[in-house]
Amino acid sequence: MAFVAAATVVALLVAIVCGLVIGPTSVPTWRVVGDIFAHVGIGHNTLTPIQSTVVWTLRAPRMVIGLLAGSMLAVAGGTYQGVFRNPLADPYLLGVASGAGLGATFAIIDLSHGVGTPSWTPLLAFVGAMAAVTLTWLIGGRSMRSNTATLILAGVAVASLLTSAQTFLQQQSSAGSITRVYIWLLGSLASVGWGTVWLVFPYVIVCIMICVGAGRALDVMSVGEDESRSLGVPVRRVRFIVIAASSLGTAAIVSAVGLIGFVGIIVPHIVRLLVGTSYRRILPISVIFGAAFLVFADTIARTVIAPSELPIGVVTALIGAPVFVIILSLRRPVAV
Amino acid sequence: MSSVEVKGLSVRAGARTLISDVTLDFEPGTWSTIIGPNGAGKTTLVETIAGLRRPSLGSVSILGEALAEMNERARALRVSLVPQHPVVPSGMRVYDYVALGRVAHHGLFHPASARDRAVIDSVVERLSLGEFRDRDVATLSGGERQRTVLARALTQSTMVVVLDEPITGLDLRHQMDMLELMKSEVHECGITVVATLHDLTLAGQFADRLVLLDAGAVVLDGPAATVIRSDELAKCYGMNLRVVDVDGADVVVPVRH
Repeated sequence: MAFVAAATVVALLVAIVCGLVIGPTSVPTWRVVGDIFAHVGIGHNTLTPIQSTVVWTLRAPRMVIGLLAGSMLAVAGGTYQGVFRNPLADPYLLGVASGAGLGATFAIIDLSHGVGTPSWTPLLAFVGAMAAVTLTWLIGGRSMRSNTATLILAGVAVASLLTSAQTFLQQQSSAGSITRVYIWLLGSLASVGWGTVWLVFPYVIVCIMICVGAGRALDVMSVGEDESRSLGVPVRRVRFIVIAASSLGTAAIVSAVGLIGFVGIIVPHIVRLLVGTSYRRILPISVIFGAAFLVFADTIARTVIAPSELPIGVVTALIGAPVFVIILSLRRPVAV
Repeated sequence: MSSVEVKGLSVRAGARTLISDVTLDFEPGTWSTIIGPNGAGKTTLVETIAGLRRPSLGSVSILGEALAEMNERARALRVSLVPQHPVVPSGMRVYDYVALGRVAHHGLFHPASARDRAVIDSVVERLSLGEFRDRDVATLSGGERQRTVLARALTQSTMVVVLDEPITGLDLRHQMDMLELMKSEVHECGITVVATLHDLTLAGQFADRLVLLDAGAVVLDGPAATVIRSDELAKCYGMNLRVVDVDGADVVVPVRH
């Protein structure tokens, strides 16, 4: 456990440095590290003005949103897997992805008059995502008799409804808009600046803290709803708070960077295979591991076929799947 | 004061009445077992006493306090449950599973205190679970698992323990062991046990009092020996039953027509 924690923290630090150093403009690693220290008041600036712009205006916000997105998606996936006691749960389970997709498609196709991706695409994506989860909750989570299976099925229904609406909108539009919608759906950290980072930062940090804080409750809830209630856990309240926090954080991330798949489902499983089944360990380690993983993936996405980019979802799956398979074959079977 | 007080209790699910107008008092330090045929409402009754179901009418009180006015945590400090079909999480150590019983004491945001750990250790010791401490609960045999679930309920340190068919699926020896363990806890700690049991012979031997339930209503309520030997018992089950005295113990035997 201590070893895994230390290793993930080291991976995170390496990822941060890679995210800042690697790219078309070469900047020596020691200068970047020196400049990081300079920013906290130790030593002097070590970067030229151009290097400084490249590192701190172009690469840094992209790296930071990568950290936020990776940790939020990973911890949301982990809490969903705990709350639903289902290994297939991911942060998009309750319709966040299809809601955001519909919102973004609406913005790009109907409101842009066929040109560009309007600046309020993220806002509409966020509204769509939250509306989808709320709808799912109203259908499947409200009544006293409902259980998590009802909620998952409600999520499936809402997701297919919104996806069909999104597909319809897309089919009605021009080829140019379809391409832009498609690019948005694939997810990318490319166009993120400090403004977006600060916008999602508070949501994501608060949501991550709530999810991590729910670790002990999720551990108890692994014995099912009735038994956890008899052990003193207010199951319905915990479930509501955790789902609300996971969904809100995920919606904020999705609206900023689009739909990045795979991190939310695979990172918590990799962590679980390494540290065991207690959510008190899985969740905090997933936060760090997810952050490191996504920044690595993005560094690869923007460099292997530079100057053009690979979709980050392709990279996360391309690295994540083999890593997961290797760990899976070495360790015990998956348990939730 | 009675330990558990069930007053005018009715429980409905949709149009069906599962429990109708049941009134029962359970004294501290006694073992009462609810018996009756399948579908009589035994599980519903004990789940309502454990606070997992809400009464449609009437109330359940523990030491004079109404369950309906407590939150989950307050309730978990007063009544614990050994469920009929416990959910067994995989990958959880026996010690951690037993420790779940202390969550209501230390809360969801604090680790177990020294006192919590002392209680867990003492229960693990009393129930001879020491050698299994680090085993994965999912790998235990039926008897070991039931003992672990009982240990979890006992670490809750509640006045009232509800056992819902605690010996289902155990062999004879483990059935006896499990009930003996519980019986000694009742004697030593003065707790109140409300149980359901299908095996009438064991029910008669371990309970101070039997409550015969049929179609959601109390048919008979009294000392074990009286209820076991009553005519209503056979009538409720709709079959021939004979009670045989074996070395002073009542043994209930089914007889073919």
